[in-house]
Amino acid sequence: MMLRTPVPKRARPIEPAPIIESPPTGSDHHRQLAIYEDPPSADPARREPSHEPLQQSEHMLCTYQCRQMVKADFLDALSNAEKQVQDYQSQLAELSDNFRKADEERKTFREKLSYAEQELAAAKGREQALHDQLLKEVNDSHERLKKELESSAKLQTKLENEQNLRKKAESTAASAEDKARELEAKLGHISQSIEKEKKQLNNELVHLKRDSKFSISKITVDLEKMEFRAQSSEKEVELLRKQQEDLQSKFSQCLHQKSELEKKLTSLSFEDDSPKESDILVKHLQEELRNYESEVREARKLKSAHENIELIKEKLLEEKSRRERAELQLPKLHEYEFKINELEDELSAWKLMIQDIPGVSCRDDIRLRISALQKEVIDNLKKLGDVNAHLKQMEVILDKTQLDKQKTETEAVLAKEKADRLEAEVKRMNVMLSAVSEERNVLKTAIEDFKSKNEQAGGNASSSIMQIQELGSSILEREPYIKELEGDLFAQKEINAHQRDEIKSLHDRLNSEARRVKSLERENDRLRSEIFLLESKIGHGDFSAANTKVLRMVNTLAVGNDAKQTIEALQSELQRTKEKLQALEEYKSQSGNSGKMVDSYMSGKVAQLKEQIATLEKREERYKTVFADRISVFRRACCELFGYKIVMDERQRPNGIPVTRFTLQSIYAMNDDEKLEFEYESGNTNIVENSYTSTSEISQQVDIFVRKMNSIPAFTANLTVESFNRRTLS
Amino acid sequence: MASKTAAKDIITLRGSAAIVSEFFGYAANSILYNRAVYPEESFARVKKYGLPMLLTKDEGVKSFISNLNAQLSEWLEAGKLQRVVLVIMSMNTGEVLERWNFSIETDNEVVEKGVSREKSDKEIMREIQAIMRQIASSITYLPCLDEQCVFDVLAYTDTDVAVPFTWMESSDAKLIANPQMVKLHSFDTKIHKVNTLVSYKNDEEELDDEE
Repeated sequence: MMLRTPVPKRARPIEPAPIIESPPTGSDHHRQLAIYEDPPSADPARREPSHEPLQQSEHMLCTYQCRQMVKADFLDALSNAEKQVQDYQSQLAELSDNFRKADEERKTFREKLSYAEQELAAAKGREQALHDQLLKEVNDSHERLKKELESSAKLQTKLENEQNLRKKAESTAASAEDKARELEAKLGHISQSIEKEKKQLNNELVHLKRDSKFSISKITVDLEKMEFRAQSSEKEVELLRKQQEDLQSKFSQCLHQKSELEKKLTSLSFEDDSPKESDILVKHLQEELRNYESEVREARKLKSAHENIELIKEKLLEEKSRRERAELQLPKLHEYEFKINELEDELSAWKLMIQDIPGVSCRDDIRLRISALQKEVIDNLKKLGDVNAHLKQMEVILDKTQLDKQKTETEAVLAKEKADRLEAEVKRMNVMLSAVSEERNVLKTAIEDFKSKNEQAGGNASSSIMQIQELGSSILEREPYIKELEGDLFAQKEINAHQRDEIKSLHDRLNSEARRVKSLERENDRLRSEIFLLESKIGHGDFSAANTKVLRMVNTLAVGNDAKQTIEALQSELQRTKEKLQALEEYKSQSGNSGKMVDSYMSGKVAQLKEQIATLEKREERYKTVFADRISVFRRACCELFGYKIVMDERQRPNGIPVTRFTLQSIYAMNDDEKLEFEYESGNTNIVENSYTSTSEISQQVDIFVRKMNSIPAFTANLTVESFNRRTLS
Repeated sequence: MASKTAAKDIITLRGSAAIVSEFFGYAANSILYNRAVYPEESFARVKKYGLPMLLTKDEGVKSFISNLNAQLSEWLEAGKLQRVVLVIMSMNTGEVLERWNFSIETDNEVVEKGVSREKSDKEIMREIQAIMRQIASSITYLPCLDEQCVFDVLAYTDTDVAVPFTWMESSDAKLIANPQMVKLHSFDTKIHKVNTLVSYKNDEEELDDEE
C-alpha cells in the first residue's frame, strides 16, 4: 500500500531567533508570520521543500504589496495547508483505515498465528506421538531383532547339534560300511573257499564216480568172465558127469565083465588048460578095474577139487580186486586225510571268526547278520538323507531369517534415520515456533505500545501513523517468513503422512511376506511329498484310466521264431517226404507193372532168408556142441598124454592188449597151489611168476630150462617127472 | 529339421519327435545288450551321441524296433504319447523282472500353434549321452538276470488315440510289486522332456524267501 503521506518530518529544535516559516505542505508544521531576517546559517542541506515557500514568504516582506502578496501567499499557503490538512486528514483516514486493516490483518495474523500455534502444538503432539510410535517401533524392532537373534542363535545351536548328529551318523555309517565291507570281503573269501571246496569235492566226486564206474565195469567184466567160466565149468561138470557116467557104465560093464569072468573063471576052474592066460587076463582086468576105480576116484576128487578151485578162484579174484581198489585208494586216503585236516583247521578258524562277530552263532547267522547290517546301513543312509534334507531345510530357513533380520535391521536403521530426521524437523519446528512466538510477543508488545500510544496521543496521528507504518512494514517483512513457515508446516505434514503411510505399507509388506514365506514352505513340503508319490507311482507304473490307455505292440519276435522253427521243421519233413515219394515213384516207374510181382518175390525172398538163417543157427549150435565135445576130448587127451591139466583164459592187459593165459596143473601135484601160468601173445609164450614158481626149487628149474635153455616143454617134463617121483615115493 | 544359428538351434515339433524316437531306439538296444536279453555276438558297434553304441543284427528285433520308432514318432508329433515302458520278463515264468520307464512331457503350445523352440543340438546330445552312460553303468546295481529273458514294449497314450493295426490295447500294465526304483537323468528338447526311471524286482524278497 502506497501511502501518500510524505516522509515524516523531524521536529525542528526551537531556535532562539524567530523564523517565519511558510506553511509547508505537511500538516504538522505551525505556520507563523515573522520578520524576515537573514537566517544565521543558510544551510542548503537543511533546506527542505517545505522551507522553500518559507523563503518565498520571507521574500515577500515589508511591502504592502509584499504583505498582500504575503497575504495572498499566506492565503494560498493556508489553502494549501488546508488542502494539505485535508489531505493529511484523508491520509489519516486512510491511515486509520489502513491501521484498522492492519489491525484486522494483525488480528487475522494473530488468529493465524494462534492457529499456527495450535497446529504447531498439534503437529508437535503428532510428532511426539510419531516419535513415541517410532520409539515403540524401534523398540519392537529391537525386540524382534533380539528374538530373531535368539532364534538364530537357537537355530545355530540346532544346526551345530544337527551337524554333530550328522557327523556322528556319517561316522557310524562309515564304520558300518567298513564293517559291512569287511564282512562282505570275508563272505567273498568264504564263498570263494566254499566254491573251491565244492569244486574240489565235485572233482573228487567225478573221480570217485569214474572210479566206481571203472570198478563197476571191471566187476561186470569179471562177472562176465566168471559167468563164462561158470558156463565153461558147468560144461566141464557136465562133461565130467558124462565121463563119470561113462566111467560108471564102464565100471558097471567091468563089474559085469568081472562077474562074467569070475563065472567063467569058476566054470573054467575045472579046466586045467592055460591057467596062466586067464590069470593074466584076470590080472589085466583087475588092473583095469583098479585103474578105472582110481580114475573114478580121481574124477570125483577132481570134481570136488574143481568146485573148490572155482570157489577159491572167485574168492581170490574178489580179494584181488578189493586189494587193488584199496591200493588205488590208499594214496587218495592220505589226500583226504590231509584235506580233512585242512578243512578242520579252516572250520575252527571260521568258528573263531564267527565267535568274534557279535550276534552270530552259526554259519547261517552270518548271512542274516550281513543282511541285517545291510538293512541297518540302508536305514542309516535313509536317516542320513532325511537329516540332510532337514538340515538343508533348516539352512534355508536360517538364510531366510537372516535375510529377514537384515531387512529388519535396514528398516530399523531407516526408521532411526527417519526418527532422527523427524526429531531434527521437530527441533527445527520448535525453533521456528520459538522464533514465531518471540515475534508474536514482539508484535504483541508493539501492538500494545501502539495501542497505548494511540490512547495516549489521541490525535497524534503522525506517531500512530508512523507506528502503523512500522507495524505494517514489520508485518510485510514477516509475511514471507510466515509463508515460509506455512510451507514448511505443510511439507512437514505431508512428510509425516507419507512416512506414516510408508511405515504402514512396510508393516503390511512384512506381514504379507511372512505369510507368503510360510505358505511357500507348506507348498514346498506338499509338492515334495507329491513329487515323491508321483515318482513312486511312475516307477510302479500306475496310470489313470480316464486320461491314459496302455497299448502293446504285437510281439512278432517270439511268434516269428516259433513259426520259423515250425516252418523249418515242416519244410525239412516235406523235403524228406518228397524225396521218399520221388524214390518210390522212380522205383515204381522202373518196376512198372511188375510191382506186384516184386512184392511177392520180396516176401518169398524174405522167407527164404529166414529159413536160411534158422538152418544156419541150428548148424552153429551143432558146431558148438561138436566143438565142445571135441575140445573136451582134446583136453583130456592132452592131460593124459602130457600130465597137465590146461585151462585157457583170455585176459586184457592194462594197456588194452588181449592176452591168452594158460594155467597148467600137473596131475601129480600134491596140492592145488602147484600151478604154472603162461601167457601166449602173438606166438610168444612167457611164464608168469606166482607163488609156486617163486619157490626155490621151481625158480631154479625155471632159470635153467626156460631162461637159459629157452625150453618150456623141458621144464614141464622135468617138473612132471619130479612130481611123479614125489608122488610115487609118498 | 534344426538349422544352426549362432549359439542355439531351432527345434521344430517334427525334429523333436525324431530325436526322441531315435533316442528310444538306441536306448532299447543298449538295454537289451547290457541286460543280456540277446547274446553279445548278435550286436554290432556303431558311433552315436559321441559314444560307441551297440545295435542288434537280428532282423526280427531290428524290424520290431524300427516299426516301434515310427509309431512313437507319429504319436509324439500329435502330442499323444505320455510314456513308453520297456519290460523285461522271464521266458519260463513270464514274471516281470525290470521296467524301464521313459515318461514324456510335451509342450502343448508347440503342438497346437506349431511354433518352434531354440536349443543347442550339442546340449541335447550331451544330455542323451549322460543317460546312455547311466544305462550302461546300471549293471552295477541291477540284479543279475540268470534265466532266459524276453522283452516287450508298452505305450501309455491319451484315451482318444486310435489303436493302430499292429498294436492292441492291453489291460495288463505288467507291474512289479514293491519294486526298487532308480531315477536316471532326463533330457529336454524344449518341446519334449523325457524322464528315465528303472524299477526292478526287490532283491531282498528273494533273500527273505531263501532264508
